[in-house]
Amino acid sequence: MPDHAGPAGGLTRREDLRLLRGEGRFVADLALPRLLDAAFARSRVAHGVLVDVDVSAARQVPGVLGAWSARDLPDLPVVPPFGQPGVAEGRDWPALADDRVRHVGQPLAVVVAADRYRAEDGADAVRARIDALPPVLTPQDALSGPELFPGHDNVADEAEFGDPVPEEVWASAHLVVEGRYRQQLVSPFSMEARAFLAVPEGEQLHVWVSHQAPHRLRDNIAQALGLAPDAVRVQVPDAGGAFGSKSATFPEYLVVAALARRLGRPVRWIEDRAEAFTAHTHGRGQDQRTRLALDADGRFLAFELDVLANLGAYPHTGVVVPQQTALMATGAYATPHVHSRMRCVVTTTTPTAPYRGAGRPEAAYAVERTVELAARRLGVDPVQLRRRNFLAPEAFPYDTPTGRRYDSGEYARALERCVEALALDAWRAEQRRRRDDPAARPLGIGFCTYVERSGGDGPMLREFGSVEALADGTFVARCGTSSTGQGHETALAQVVADVLGVDLERIRYVAADTGEVASGVGSFGSRSMQMGGAALHLAAGELVDLARRRAAQRASEGGALVPVAGVTWTTGRLDLGGGQGIDVGDLVAATGPLRADHEFRQDAAFPFGSYAAVVEVDVELGDVEVLRLVAVDDYGVVVNPVLTRGQTVGSIVQGLGQVLYEEVPYAADGRPSLDAGLFDYLVPTLSEVPPMTLEETVTPDPGNPLGAKGAGEAGCIGVPPAVVNAVADALELDDPGTLQMPLTPAVVWRAAAGAAS
Amino acid sequence: MKAPPFDLVAPTSIEDAVLALAAGADRPGGVAVLAGGQSLLLDLHHRRVRPGLVVDLRRVPGLGAVDVHGSGVRIGALVRHRAFEDPALVPGAVGRVLPVMAEHVGHPPIRELGTFCGSLAWAHPTAEWALLAVTLGAQVTLRSAAGTRTVAAAEFSTGPHATVRGDAELLTAVDLPLPPPGAGAGFVEHRRTEASFAAAAALVVLEVGDVSVRACRIGLAGAADRPVRATRAEAVLTGAPVTAESFAAAARVAAHEDADPRAEPHGPVDHRRQVLSVLVRRALVAALDDTARAGGEEAA
Repeated sequence: MPDHAGPAGGLTRREDLRLLRGEGRFVADLALPRLLDAAFARSRVAHGVLVDVDVSAARQVPGVLGAWSARDLPDLPVVPPFGQPGVAEGRDWPALADDRVRHVGQPLAVVVAADRYRAEDGADAVRARIDALPPVLTPQDALSGPELFPGHDNVADEAEFGDPVPEEVWASAHLVVEGRYRQQLVSPFSMEARAFLAVPEGEQLHVWVSHQAPHRLRDNIAQALGLAPDAVRVQVPDAGGAFGSKSATFPEYLVVAALARRLGRPVRWIEDRAEAFTAHTHGRGQDQRTRLALDADGRFLAFELDVLANLGAYPHTGVVVPQQTALMATGAYATPHVHSRMRCVVTTTTPTAPYRGAGRPEAAYAVERTVELAARRLGVDPVQLRRRNFLAPEAFPYDTPTGRRYDSGEYARALERCVEALALDAWRAEQRRRRDDPAARPLGIGFCTYVERSGGDGPMLREFGSVEALADGTFVARCGTSSTGQGHETALAQVVADVLGVDLERIRYVAADTGEVASGVGSFGSRSMQMGGAALHLAAGELVDLARRRAAQRASEGGALVPVAGVTWTTGRLDLGGGQGIDVGDLVAATGPLRADHEFRQDAAFPFGSYAAVVEVDVELGDVEVLRLVAVDDYGVVVNPVLTRGQTVGSIVQGLGQVLYEEVPYAADGRPSLDAGLFDYLVPTLSEVPPMTLEETVTPDPGNPLGAKGAGEAGCIGVPPAVVNAVADALELDDPGTLQMPLTPAVVWRAAAGAAS
Repeated sequence: MKAPPFDLVAPTSIEDAVLALAAGADRPGGVAVLAGGQSLLLDLHHRRVRPGLVVDLRRVPGLGAVDVHGSGVRIGALVRHRAFEDPALVPGAVGRVLPVMAEHVGHPPIRELGTFCGSLAWAHPTAEWALLAVTLGAQVTLRSAAGTRTVAAAEFSTGPHATVRGDAELLTAVDLPLPPPGAGAGFVEHRRTEASFAAAAALVVLEVGDVSVRACRIGLAGAADRPVRATRAEAVLTGAPVTAESFAAAARVAAHEDADPRAEPHGPVDHRRQVLSVLVRRALVAALDDTARAGGEEAA
């Protein structure tokens, strides 16, 4: 076994040298002859009848090659739905707005020019006439408002999970607590916004894109343009983040692909940061109601979750999210009755889509806020209350009342580890000291124990991996996943190197290129290592077996009788016994290509963990300072701890963003109040990162050859409920309904003032 | 986020600079001055401004100095924010509070390039330097081809990103008067992240006698559409005993009588008044602490 020990017991990322030297190659770095830039003229009106789009002035702008509205491009395809095709029926999403505009930022026209400056000059010159209609900005308004798609209900999808809780359970319970929570709309905010380059190559179309699911995108583009799938090649170069938001097939992609073919020139669209705030998708956006019944011993009797989710202007990208929330309503607990219901509505905000966690942060928040509310009402320690109700390790596999099969878990162990790492007793003592000192700022401690789902659902529970030996003694690992910055070149190649027993340098990692990788599902839902890593692990093992068989056969053809069992593989060499052997490269040179493909399938896995936050509140101003965060995550067996640590930290910071800072605030006229960009939309930076302790427990996944579960979304699941619970604890809020995210100073001040009065 | 087309000139003397401004003032979209570029470039890229001509000041000599004289400080048009991080730059209470305020201006790369005078000309409603200028009663010097005039800082900004400066005028310098020896200064700001603009801020310059407040200046940012003096609170506090109660009373007057804040996303009016009240009280305490430092410095 080669030595993979890096600074923290794992390999540091081999892609980093390139990226840190500025030698990364992103879509915007691809310089091609005769390249054109596209820019979109976008609606500044949230909702209205689109009377006219005038692109004539844009066509006169120097450097502009062309400008088109929907009327000029009648053959433009509509945007394909993702997840549940039914929701798109009667709710077509045109690639360029045709008769209606449905959100601020919707593309009205496209301008193509020699560079982005001139393209923006052209987009500036586009004039639209829109007869405004009233905006519909909240899910509640969508329920009561007029139909946004005439003839179709604003509720685009609804479902229930688990059996309704019998009324007598509520009636006879010792305590019933109810919560109302709001998941605000947030911007997923990758460093690199969307980027798409379409290069016509004869009858083929070569697409370069910052994307999480290149094979699905290829199929969608091919179908939309009426091409055979193999006429389109989709390739993802270096990418600067995605967080779930680069998984769909967006209107702009279809427009640019169609124009590249029409013009016979490479056309790219590099979305900028300001544009992305309204043109790209939002995350979260749910109104939640919960109800929890407990007996006198604090045992959970029943839990109910009602989710009303905002899909935004079109249901195509967001509809998969609230279902996850409803499915995960059981949390980490042995609650006998759990019932969840979700309804998704269309509004006139920017469409929503998966954002890191994609439904699981929302579920954990609803469950864990309600659990701590119950603890406060009962006057019991929230840690004790959780311990009393956790599913026991021997309960797995566990079929939850809401329809999930949890594979494995040791929830109590993760919480114990969290309590220890926090030194909870010392913080509780400090909390008591401060409660006795009127001049001291109150301190609060909050927890979250989460269970999430990784790998995917249904048809996404598969992934492709392939390992090929080359004559020069190196190997090519091909995988259907698509790194948008997670470090797959290191971690997934490492899986192969481990099986083959060779140095990482001998593995060339190839992914996110439909021309090179036969099939793939992609990277989202914390699935790359669990699914892609397992596929590569198995493919590498199969390659070793193939090589052994071939070496035995070759030896036999040479006259020596060597049984396959007599051939051993060590560090890329086949040992035939008796001092005979052959390097695998020489075997390939002598016998031809040697490659093993594996399509891995597995049920979803359920990572879990416990988070704790300690906060201090300046009650006069409403400021929250996070003094300490502890994260204990169980990702199953971790292949590369350096990378999972990076994922955890990044995800934690995004969780801090949602709980304290981030929101896309819509004004009454339907426009997001984000004119000053990042001065209005606050994201945490290094200065806002609190001291944190990261620990792990390891509960191997029973259905995975690596024992791996997903990593990457835990932090933004665990942090928001832990922090809000801590603020509620600091303020001793019996009814924390006033504490809704983001916990701005105004929100916290009002809650504190309410608690004091 | 790409700038619209514009012409650029880089004059090498003040005379040429003001001639360029005069020529550019008649263009569609007017003329803009580039000094540090930390606000102008952003405005250009967002296409919030579309000047036909940009006049780059950076080759004009003589604008980069901070001159300390007996009763005041003159700050030239090209002095960067970073200069004020130096606690030895200016004597007395203002010298002690400048580094505290400078730390709140943008972040280090912005402070390396952005300018004090540029901040005044940009007129963000909660900018630290505009608050300082208004609180101290600074004079702003404007020069054009037609001549030179000075404007009181309190009269200079007329609202968010609006000033009395004409397109053909160049803001060449700001003169800050310095409070007398023995005065103390305190500055407290409320912002949501380290990189945020101030939501609100208070700057106090305090002179105390044996038992009572001899004189005070209280400046507020986030109380109106530009930094303002809290004149009613100053009147309440002047002559009042140096006590926590006096400070709290003045803070309440500042927040509820002097201030006229407007609601913003995440900033309802009642919370903004509350924040202003707390900031003024804390700034008064900080200024009082600083008078003790003033005594120490002068004794040394």
